[in-house]
Amino acid sequence: MSNIVNVSDPFYIDFPKRVSQIKEAMARQNIDVYLGSRLRTISWVSDTFCPWRSFIIIGHEGLPTVFTFVIDVARIADESWLGEDNVMGYAPMGGMEQISAISDYIKDQLNLKKGLIGIESGMSNYLPEGFLTQYEYEQFREALPDFEFVNSYDIIDRLSLIKDQGTINRFKEASRIVDIGHKAVYESIINSGYKDKTETEIAGIATYAMRKAGSEWEWSFTGGNEIASGYRTGLAGCACTPASRRKLQQGEPLMADLHAMFKLGLGDHSHNYFLGKATKRQRWHADNFLNIVKLSLKTYQTGSSPSIIAEEMMRFAEQEGFTEYLVPGFEHGIGMMGDEWRIGLNQGAIPYWTDPDHIYQEGELLICAVQYACPDEKIGFRYENPILIGKDGCEPLSKFPLKVEEIE
Amino acid sequence: MEESITYLSYEWRDAAEKKLREELTPEQMKFISTSMSSIYKNCADGKERYLYIKCEEGDLSEISVGEGESPQAEFKIIGNYDTFALITQAKLSSQKALMTGKLKLKGNMVKALKLASIADRLNRVLAKIPAKY
Repeated sequence: MSNIVNVSDPFYIDFPKRVSQIKEAMARQNIDVYLGSRLRTISWVSDTFCPWRSFIIIGHEGLPTVFTFVIDVARIADESWLGEDNVMGYAPMGGMEQISAISDYIKDQLNLKKGLIGIESGMSNYLPEGFLTQYEYEQFREALPDFEFVNSYDIIDRLSLIKDQGTINRFKEASRIVDIGHKAVYESIINSGYKDKTETEIAGIATYAMRKAGSEWEWSFTGGNEIASGYRTGLAGCACTPASRRKLQQGEPLMADLHAMFKLGLGDHSHNYFLGKATKRQRWHADNFLNIVKLSLKTYQTGSSPSIIAEEMMRFAEQEGFTEYLVPGFEHGIGMMGDEWRIGLNQGAIPYWTDPDHIYQEGELLICAVQYACPDEKIGFRYENPILIGKDGCEPLSKFPLKVEEIE
Repeated sequence: MEESITYLSYEWRDAAEKKLREELTPEQMKFISTSMSSIYKNCADGKERYLYIKCEEGDLSEISVGEGESPQAEFKIIGNYDTFALITQAKLSSQKALMTGKLKLKGNMVKALKLASIADRLNRVLAKIPAKY
């Protein structure tokens, strides 16, 4: 994705420093080698998108080594700062499938015959998380019988919580690109342009504009650019709307949730429209939605927490009479590609989910998310925007104006 | 008719060196610098043997055979003596032996893939040596 070595580049990230921090944490926990398997770990260390099942091996000496499916090795070596000696392949060949290749590397290249291996084990609601599978774990244990295994994913989670400037700048650029996508969608639907267009076409228009502006991928596993129209905007709890072949129609809402990726930084902004003039009741729903989004953006700051935000939002919704239309959660986590959903560390009451009492700190990034849906009236809205937590507030990274515009 | 010599014997090594020097130019070897050890497990006498080949810029710089641990090499190919014997007699392809796990490769796989065609060329030359298995 980047291979940036110029420290004055705004998107530069000090990856050797990250590796040193991991090694220091390993030393504190007496870990001899870290066997990372989560997509977020591989992105955060190698600065490369690894779509095939991959692993990253970090010993106390030298650079980390990525192991990936052999057909993608050359590309990853070309894009990562690690270089070709530290990107290796596995394949269905004797001694070269992933378990043998990695365990031989630990024994022969790292010259370790016994010790403690840090692994990444757990669960996630996010499909591509990449925790070690039971089979992989058992096979590694068999291949490395003189090693102990310890769950150590928290090393990466802790280190990646507060974002450095290069990461923040990548997210800002991804959001700038998303805004270009929204502008393209807007221009395509005004002046009756929406007529005869389908949701998939709207997704394509956004994709084309964002790709033209440098986006590498519409990264979201919930369906790339998520587009919903009509009743699909109002499906209860609906936070997954891959574009369908449904035609846009007058009198209906349109939701465009666009995703761009820039050097593994992620843009994610959802914007909403009415196609035609909204009824008084539809406008009431839209204004409720806008008011609660504005309030949530005012509330995020250092010292706040997901539960504080949720209580405040639900209190406001109760007072205004629209609680029943809200999903009572107002954020999800975000980090370099593969780091999604859970906010902060795994230290809440429900393992591997966001800790409701996580205290936000300056420099954290998250997605402010508001989901408003009224299935009975076939209407709904979604707001998503990456926000950077500051001392006295937050900075929304997408700057597309917040409104629910009626497209005449 | 040439007299057969015992596969992996010192005589075979000398014949292999002569044949490789005669038939493979640095250009045909694509001027590569690498080293590889074939580790023969379960030889007829129960011992483990190796064949070590080193090239520098396409020139054969070292070839050795022996018992026990092989010299350090960039790549190691490990398998039973019988498997290697079948490959050398062209009764089994090295690719199939790898794909079925009869041979195991150790080393950087991507580099090994780049060298696969050269290794095949080398094996074809070695196969011409009349040998007793």
